[in-house]
Amino acid sequence: MASEDEYEYSDEGSDYPVSDDEEMDWSNSGENPNAAPMVLASSAGAKSGIRMMPAEDLMPEMKRRLKDVTEVLDIPTAAAAALLREHKWSKEGLLEVYYNDPEKLLKKCGVYFRCNPRPVRPTKGVRTCEICLDDHQGSNMRAMPCSHEFCCQCWNDFCANAVKEEGPSCVRATCPQAGCSEVVTEEEMRASLEKDSPQLYTRFCSFQLRSFVESSNFTRWCPGKGCEQIASAVSASAMEQDDNVAHCEACQLSFCLVCGEEPHAPSGCKELARWNEKCRNESETANWILANTKSCPKCVSRIEKNQGCNHMTCQRCKGEFCWICMGDWNDHGANTGGYYKCNKYDPNNGGPEDMSDAAKAKRELDRYLHYYKRFHAHAEAQKFAKKQLKETEARMVLLQESSDDARWSDVEFLKTANEQLVECRRVLKYTYVYAYYLTATDKQAMRKERFEHHQEMLERFTENLSELSEKPLAEMDRTDVVNQTRVVDRFMKNILKYVDLEEGMDDV
Amino acid sequence: MSLKRINKELVDLGKDPPANCSAGPVGDDMFHWQATIMGPDDSPYAGGVFFLDIHFPADYPFKPPKVHFTTRIYHCNINSNGGICLDILKDQWSPALTISKVLLSICSLLTDPNPDDPLVPDIAQLLKTDKARHDSTAREWTSKYAM
Repeated sequence: MASEDEYEYSDEGSDYPVSDDEEMDWSNSGENPNAAPMVLASSAGAKSGIRMMPAEDLMPEMKRRLKDVTEVLDIPTAAAAALLREHKWSKEGLLEVYYNDPEKLLKKCGVYFRCNPRPVRPTKGVRTCEICLDDHQGSNMRAMPCSHEFCCQCWNDFCANAVKEEGPSCVRATCPQAGCSEVVTEEEMRASLEKDSPQLYTRFCSFQLRSFVESSNFTRWCPGKGCEQIASAVSASAMEQDDNVAHCEACQLSFCLVCGEEPHAPSGCKELARWNEKCRNESETANWILANTKSCPKCVSRIEKNQGCNHMTCQRCKGEFCWICMGDWNDHGANTGGYYKCNKYDPNNGGPEDMSDAAKAKRELDRYLHYYKRFHAHAEAQKFAKKQLKETEARMVLLQESSDDARWSDVEFLKTANEQLVECRRVLKYTYVYAYYLTATDKQAMRKERFEHHQEMLERFTENLSELSEKPLAEMDRTDVVNQTRVVDRFMKNILKYVDLEEGMDDV
Repeated sequence: MSLKRINKELVDLGKDPPANCSAGPVGDDMFHWQATIMGPDDSPYAGGVFFLDIHFPADYPFKPPKVHFTTRIYHCNINSNGGICLDILKDQWSPALTISKVLLSICSLLTDPNPDDPLVPDIAQLLKTDKARHDSTAREWTSKYAM
């Protein structure tokens, strides 16, 4: 995707006096920093054993598993499909249950008669179809292995209706006879639909494949809207790594293979699930507190935030403040001698310790809100940055036109900076989930302090970059933006690496 | 398909009417029927006549008919709007079922309520703890609303 030659200025590193920060680890400096987000995502995918492919490519694997079970158990393929579907498409899982009590399992999965068919009724003679209540010649009747028979026309209507009305769950449709739980399989669907409604039969087959992708434990659909790509883990261990990122080339979406959410490092899948659950439960309180507008702390006029940067300037009084803590911006950033303290939760903020239950509950809510506010602020900023990304191309054209000898590659830094911003906002967002679940043991306290240091650095430089890249084109300083982009990328990688190392030490 | 099948069911109901039940279209619309159920003798609903409203969906019989009581009834599986909690009217519906079979199922629900899957928990609770009082209230409602 983002090959080196697309970003020409990356080879001209000497033009940009990036201030080497001795503390930081620059070991990846060979990598093109401008291409960081996309390369990070896709190379991480390759490393952790994920393959992206169109769903149809899984068909051979599905057929292989079907054939395997068909042969081992000596049962019809259609029965094997229903059995595997109920056991996450794992042969081992299925066989273990099967040998305990084959008859019980076959009945439970609705394939008992598929494996032990009842005698077929003669094709001669006139019988009543219980669906249309008309009399039919035996030759016009079609039966399930459970011997329940209906006329061909009703079968066609029944199958068509199941596919159209029930959607993906039509793969679990049962015999039209009341009280019969025998499953209607691909065989009946093919006999009923293939000739008259081929598109419905195709749909049934795709639902079957869909159920394979969804129930097997090594694949996941790309969550992109309408995207038909799937991520497939090469080994079972790939499904156990937290935040194992898959990247879909088709719709340019990155997602976690394990939980399907957007990449959420440094927070783990379980933490994220707990966090999301908590946010759902607390959403009303939080929403009330986080109304979309805030008052300027100086002149009290209402301010709506319409850009991603948290450095706010009130249009009326020109007062500058921080959107997150509502404090004076002068207290933020090292050059003013102030200290950027916005990422830390201070439990003693609310006066002396009160041990009553109500006070404890309030403290817990305050603690949650502290993290949620910041999580939410970065989530919003990420949305802004994504929106801005769409407008960036137009800005790039304008910027190129504004100077006589500018090449396209000379303005591409804007896009790179913007992509970097989206990534940083995303990571920052999840650092607050991670931090919320860092408990307060002594060992953790140290870790938390260091983590917050990394977080603070990333946050500070992300705000810088956000501010720089939102500037009017006339004031745009390319060198500055390129430098900030690189620095911020480094800070982002550092915090992720730090968490990785710390977590790794826990495992030892 | 739907209309033909509904007509057939009407003919069959005339030829072989189920015990204690009757049903037929309201006016010209074959998709809208009314049915009556006589309270079963061995139930607190004995002597009552209960009216039901039936709407057939356009894709009947692949979708279940919508059936509800229009007469008030004191029953733990039937709520104050006449809604009925019965599996064959929901996920256990089969295109091989008919209105006649549905009405018979409702009759047996009147004889044997299912307090373990209640639509009206208070009534189910009373049925489980004090059947005599439950039955007397049901009889009271029957004579008040269904006679």
